[in-house]
Amino acid sequence: MIAIYLVAALAVFAAIRATVEKNTGRKLPYVNVMNFAIAGTIVLLLDHPLALVAAAAYFVGSTLEANAIASTYAGGERRG
Amino acid sequence: MLGELLHILAAAIVSWILFVTVDIFFRLPEAGGVSGASAIARDIEAGGGALAGGTMMGNIVCSPDASAGTLLAACGVYVAGIPGGLVAAALVFIGNRICHDPGYAGTTGAVLATFVVYGFTLVGFAATDFIAGMVIAILTIQGLSHAHASRLLARLWRVRQ
Repeated sequence: MIAIYLVAALAVFAAIRATVEKNTGRKLPYVNVMNFAIAGTIVLLLDHPLALVAAAAYFVGSTLEANAIASTYAGGERRG
Repeated sequence: MLGELLHILAAAIVSWILFVTVDIFFRLPEAGGVSGASAIARDIEAGGGALAGGTMMGNIVCSPDASAGTLLAACGVYVAGIPGGLVAAALVFIGNRICHDPGYAGTTGAVLATFVVYGFTLVGFAATDFIAGMVIAILTIQGLSHAHASRLLARLWRVRQ
C-alpha cells in the first residue's frame, strides 16, 4: 500500500527537479526518473495484465521522446 | 508498515546491484549509443561529473536498459507472475529496437529480474516492493546528484576494465 504513495511522491519530486534544472542535458535524467515512477504508478494503480502493456507503452514512448530531445539538443545526426 | 518499508529498501538494493551489474557488463559506460547520450554525458561532465558514468546515464535516458528491464519485469511479475515478466522482456526488446539501440542490456536485465523478483516473492517479498525499490534505485543514479553518481559509475567501470 505504501509503495504507490512512495512512487507517486518520487514522480512529483523528479518532476520538480526537472523543472528547476536549467541545463537540458542534466534535465533529462530527472525526466527519466519521473518516467520510471509514472510507469510504476500505472501498474500499481491498475492490477491488470494489460496495465503492463500500458506501462511499457508509456515508458518506451517517453524514452523515445527523451532520445529525440537529447539527439536534437546534440545537433542531430550528421549525414554526408 | 515498517516491514513494508524495509522490504522496499532491500528490494531497492537488490535492484540497484542487478541493473548496474548488467549495464556495466554490457559496456554502457563505453560509448553513447546515440548522439543525445553523448551530449548528456558532456553536460554531466561539465557539471563536475565523470564522462564514463555520464555516458552510462545518457544511455539509460535514451533507451530502455537493464534498469527499465528490472522495473517492467517487476511490473510483469506483479500482474501475471513469470509469464508477465517474460512478456515485459519482449516489450523491452521491442522498445530497444524502436530507440535505435542494438544492445541486449534491457532484455537480459528483464529476464534476469523476472527470476530474481519471482524468487524474492517466494520468501515473503511482494512484487510491488520491487516496483517501488527500482524507482528508488534509479533515483539514486539519475535523480539525486549527477556528479556523484557518474563518478561512482566511472569507478565501477574502471574495475570492469
